[in-house]
Amino acid sequence: MQKKIQLLLVAVFLCTFIRISAQDDLSLQAVILDSVLTENANAIVRSEAVEIQINSVNSVTVKNKRVVTVLNKYGNGYADSREYYDPSTKIKKLEAIVYNSFGKEIKKYKKKDFMDRSTYDGYSLIGDNRMLYFEHTPIGYPYTLVYESEVEHKSSAFMKPWFPVVDYHISVENSSYKIVNPNKIPLRYNEKKFDGYPVQIDRGDQEVSYVISKVPALEPEQKSPALKKLVPNAWVALKDFSLVDIKGSAVDWKSMGKWQYDNLVSGRDQLSAETVQKITTLVADATSNKEKAKRIYEYVQDKTRYISVQLGIGGWMPMQAQDVDRLGYGDCKALTNYTKALLDSQDIESYYTVVYAGKGKIDIDSEFASMQGNHAILNVPNGEEDIWLECTSQTAPFNFIGNFTDDRNVLVIKPEGGEIKRTKKYAPEENIMTTTATITLKADKSIEAEVTSVSKGLQYNKRYFIKQKPVKDQKLYYKEYWDYVNNLDVVSIKLNDDKNEISYTEKIKVSATSYMTKAGSRLLVIPNMFNRVKRRMPKYEDRKTALVVPRGYVHTDEYIINIPEGYTLNSVPEKKELETIFGNYTYELEKLSESQLKFKRFLKMNDGTYPKEQYEEYREFMSRVRTMDKSKIVLKQQ
Amino acid sequence: MSTCNNLKILQVCVLLVLSLTINAQEFKFGKVSKKELLEKSYPLDSSANAAVLYESKGVHYVYNQSEKWFQLETEVFRRIKLYNKQGFIHGTDRTYLYKNNVSEEVVSGLKGVTYNLENNKIVKTKLKKDGVFKNEFSEDYNQHQFTMPVLKEGSVIEYSYKIVSPFVYNIDRIYLQERIPIKKLAVKIEFPEYFNFKKFTTGYLPINLKETFSNGDFVYMPDPKTPDMLKQGLGVTGKRTKRKQSIIDYKINVNTILSSDVPAFNIEAYSGNAKNYISSIVYELQYTKFGDNIKNYATTWEDIIKTIYSRAGFGEELKKSNYYKEDLNQLLMGISDPVKKTVLIYEFLKKKMTWNSRHSVYTRNGVKKAYKEGVGNVAEINIMLTSMLSSVGIDANPVLISTKDRVASLYPTLDGFNYVITRVRFSDGNMMYLDATDKYGEPNILPDRVLHGAARIISDNKTSQSLNLRPKKPSESISRVQYQIDTHGLIKGKANLYNMGYLAHRFRVRQGEESLETQEKRVKQKYEISDLEQYDVKGIKDIGKPVNERFEFSLEDQVEVIDNEMFFSPLLFLKYKENIFKLKKRVYPIDFGYGYINTISVNIKIPEGYQIVETPKEAVVQLPDNMGSFVYRLKINGDSIQVSVAETLNESIILADKYPVIKEFYNQIIQKENEQVVLKKI
Repeated sequence: MQKKIQLLLVAVFLCTFIRISAQDDLSLQAVILDSVLTENANAIVRSEAVEIQINSVNSVTVKNKRVVTVLNKYGNGYADSREYYDPSTKIKKLEAIVYNSFGKEIKKYKKKDFMDRSTYDGYSLIGDNRMLYFEHTPIGYPYTLVYESEVEHKSSAFMKPWFPVVDYHISVENSSYKIVNPNKIPLRYNEKKFDGYPVQIDRGDQEVSYVISKVPALEPEQKSPALKKLVPNAWVALKDFSLVDIKGSAVDWKSMGKWQYDNLVSGRDQLSAETVQKITTLVADATSNKEKAKRIYEYVQDKTRYISVQLGIGGWMPMQAQDVDRLGYGDCKALTNYTKALLDSQDIESYYTVVYAGKGKIDIDSEFASMQGNHAILNVPNGEEDIWLECTSQTAPFNFIGNFTDDRNVLVIKPEGGEIKRTKKYAPEENIMTTTATITLKADKSIEAEVTSVSKGLQYNKRYFIKQKPVKDQKLYYKEYWDYVNNLDVVSIKLNDDKNEISYTEKIKVSATSYMTKAGSRLLVIPNMFNRVKRRMPKYEDRKTALVVPRGYVHTDEYIINIPEGYTLNSVPEKKELETIFGNYTYELEKLSESQLKFKRFLKMNDGTYPKEQYEEYREFMSRVRTMDKSKIVLKQQ
Repeated sequence: MSTCNNLKILQVCVLLVLSLTINAQEFKFGKVSKKELLEKSYPLDSSANAAVLYESKGVHYVYNQSEKWFQLETEVFRRIKLYNKQGFIHGTDRTYLYKNNVSEEVVSGLKGVTYNLENNKIVKTKLKKDGVFKNEFSEDYNQHQFTMPVLKEGSVIEYSYKIVSPFVYNIDRIYLQERIPIKKLAVKIEFPEYFNFKKFTTGYLPINLKETFSNGDFVYMPDPKTPDMLKQGLGVTGKRTKRKQSIIDYKINVNTILSSDVPAFNIEAYSGNAKNYISSIVYELQYTKFGDNIKNYATTWEDIIKTIYSRAGFGEELKKSNYYKEDLNQLLMGISDPVKKTVLIYEFLKKKMTWNSRHSVYTRNGVKKAYKEGVGNVAEINIMLTSMLSSVGIDANPVLISTKDRVASLYPTLDGFNYVITRVRFSDGNMMYLDATDKYGEPNILPDRVLHGAARIISDNKTSQSLNLRPKKPSESISRVQYQIDTHGLIKGKANLYNMGYLAHRFRVRQGEESLETQEKRVKQKYEISDLEQYDVKGIKDIGKPVNERFEFSLEDQVEVIDNEMFFSPLLFLKYKENIFKLKKRVYPIDFGYGYINTISVNIKIPEGYQIVETPKEAVVQLPDNMGSFVYRLKINGDSIQVSVAETLNESIILADKYPVIKEFYNQIIQKENEQVVLKKI
């Protein structure tokens, strides 16, 4: 079952949903397989049957039978081999049988053959999630694995969703999902991306079932929408539910938010008089609420660090503010709640906010209220403006959420109920990097250069962490960033992180022994030394998905290039300009004198979603930029 | 005179005692100084985010009255300075505690304090229960963690605890270096005369170890009814008998290591297993001796080999032969040539058995079951192989391996190995190393995990010898490319690429399971090819033969057309893009695993109406001591240019002192390969 508000990667998140399936008359052979299903597939979900029986608000039984034919080694992870559990779940049945390609049974794993271990999520200090698992070594492909489980959950706040196509390169022969609800607890469901897929839906009185068959495997494409937006998935929520031992009831975001406020968030904000006094002194001479909030945020950053502890209800309920105050650490929930408590003490309104964090923008579904999100941030309304605070970062500037939680729907939890809001979007014009440089070319092919970059917005976000690295690693970073310059030597690095202005300045001195190449009396040089589009976009014969450019930026470069004595640039290349819906590009060289050139480059990338037909145009644009970025000029010896 | 002398000696003694006490005082729990709290960065390494100001580790044996047996205790005390927020990860300590069905290791006596300076006053915050987390991590390990409260930039933390272990035969490896610098380190290992350990060390730092002795005693009360471990050996030999109990005196071996200013341990790329280079000391039990009762664990390689052979999962398994007899007879019918027999058996097992990715010197379910199921761990598969070969009169022996991910054992140790392969010796003296777990393996081509590991061969008479498995012969690749340039600067051409030996093996391991489409995508992306046609790869499944890729390509932006001239570097996508060695200095050796010879020949046809004005000059770069060379040749033949390049690296391991030379070698290659041909319109 889905677990807890914490920083989960989306991929992991999707994979932890266990899916399943049914008929007993399954043909388990894998000799003759439908070519529609084998094409591009690493594994075929032959049949999956999930049956969810809602016994009561604190007992939900999930029966799962899933038959997967694995076609090659990359398909191995898609045959079930593990069952997750925690103190509120009970695994009642667990069994797996492996069949060879002829359908002959070759190995059986009974519950006692499964091993037990805690699951490490990669960042938590501790949690109570565990799994029973077995390790199967396939002796040949294809093979078929039949996995059956029955698990009883005490919590009904999270209902296992239907997600038949779990990944790219996975096809589905048949998948079914059924909710059995004898007590008729009111049910809501949320069906996504059913259009274009042959989903059979059967809706009863507070019950629902879905069946799908013959879904071919998808291939991933670059810059495409998230998988969740490409394949059918369905989510179910109960009006009355329980979370660990807390009962709840909700029909929309207002009531869901209200329940979360009353049961998870409120009353966890007491602070000692001493702490309140300290904060009062801290903000005493601040002139605005925003200034006060900034001081408090920086106080929290200075005082706390991120330590994730996810035990029982602690997976959803923040630690007490006074405990964070005493210990100086907490997870996203705890640090958000603590900051909120400090702001409250100064009568500054703020709200605990639930979000899906990550570089990929995932919305809290505004139309469907249920337990969602994997992270918490703080919303501080300030007149017209919304201030967003990422309380787990010790280094982020005030009101700077970066690409971790930007531009997406979030659930703001207010005492009167929940409200969906959208976080800040960083427009291309805000994400700027301006680079100036003086480059001195020498007749022996070597160069010396001094370069200064100023980054803002998400460009700041991309770079400011470098300052925290040791000098040795900083040098390595620049050597890798400009990896096309052979034998680059980083002479000096000066970095300045202005957190008030949210502006990051890099002043780097470099030299290279052979940046240019010599061809007889000529020196070949690429004027664009410091900012090149390096990535090459693949060409698709038949692009299937829309083009998504999630965020834009503006880069402006201007370099003064000193030509070695005795050399001259005979012909100045023409100014090149590209103007497209995806962005604009300018490349310009100017001869300032016989011994000095000026190189100018401008690239603006727009964000946006474009129809799949436009992908090729985008690829061409990027490819032309890439080619121009590395184009050479010839200096001739006089 | 004599009085005077005595006085002097006394003074010295007092001084010594005093200075020792002062030292001990300085690092007593709770005695954190303002100076330590005020320190802004580590004086010897300003890049350190945190530093261990003091660490003491005491490992000793304690006699447990109720168990009538020893237990192993490890006392840990650390004082750590956290200079900045990046250092806060060192505010969390994590210990894995071994357990089995009978007993388990436990942590006890944990105390911890965080020290901060507030308004010039030292403020202490204690670690409480809510900062301690215990967890059953897996079937073999419990996890014990704690995280210190109220960390601030500049905080000093202290903690101490004891690990009590019933597993007295096994002292864990003791690290004398960490990822952060250590200012002062004091390690004390004490073991009673009953336990005899051998030690070995790793790393590049000097280890200052002192060995002394002390005395201990314990009260021994044997239970007349039940036997215990000590009874047999000691009897009641205690001198001071008091009714039924005896006081046993025994000698204690004391090893102390004191070091200061230990630099942080850094990982460098291409060094194989970096852990081989961290400073540490390992204790390996040799034998126990209670009175006259001596039990050997391991001393010499011979003993270790004997021990390994005596274990059920090795020697016995090697002897079994009934389970395969019939299959083998059928397989080898009519074959008498020993090389053919060897290869047939090896290929047969490679096909029949699938490795379950488990490392061990010992079988788990046994060879019979493994053979039946077709799945086994490495011991099952390669013991099977050795046994099969021996059974048909081939001179085959097991080779014990410590894989790449392990620390190589420097002295005879039982725990030094985790893997086993097979060596065959033919009558002409030729050797064949075989590992049937690797589907892409071939005779004398071993998987990475083995190649970068350490090996020891066992002969029939149970003697052994260490081996270097890295091949003496470099592996070859040959690339042939022909292309022509049109008047717009577009390139069309054909490529024919061969990989042999280890290079073919690497190709198979990385690409063997990929579809042709995936291969095409990879080649397009890697070589920046705009149009790829007729892509074909041959030999992936024909192990032993070269892997051959052929394709036709066109390239759009490889030729720069400026005014009336064209510029391009003739090797196209076959040239090095960047130097993998970017650091200025290196401490550890570079481990390539095997040497290589890359030969490239390129044939270029220039566009009509153009003439050749400039070409790169021929060049030879020679590495010292015949380590390697680079040869660049170029010939003009009417309207075509032929370039041939040979890059040779003979050594598989290059020592750190040669690093600047190797770095410069690649630098020169890159420069040369980037040089341009200039064509001019006639």
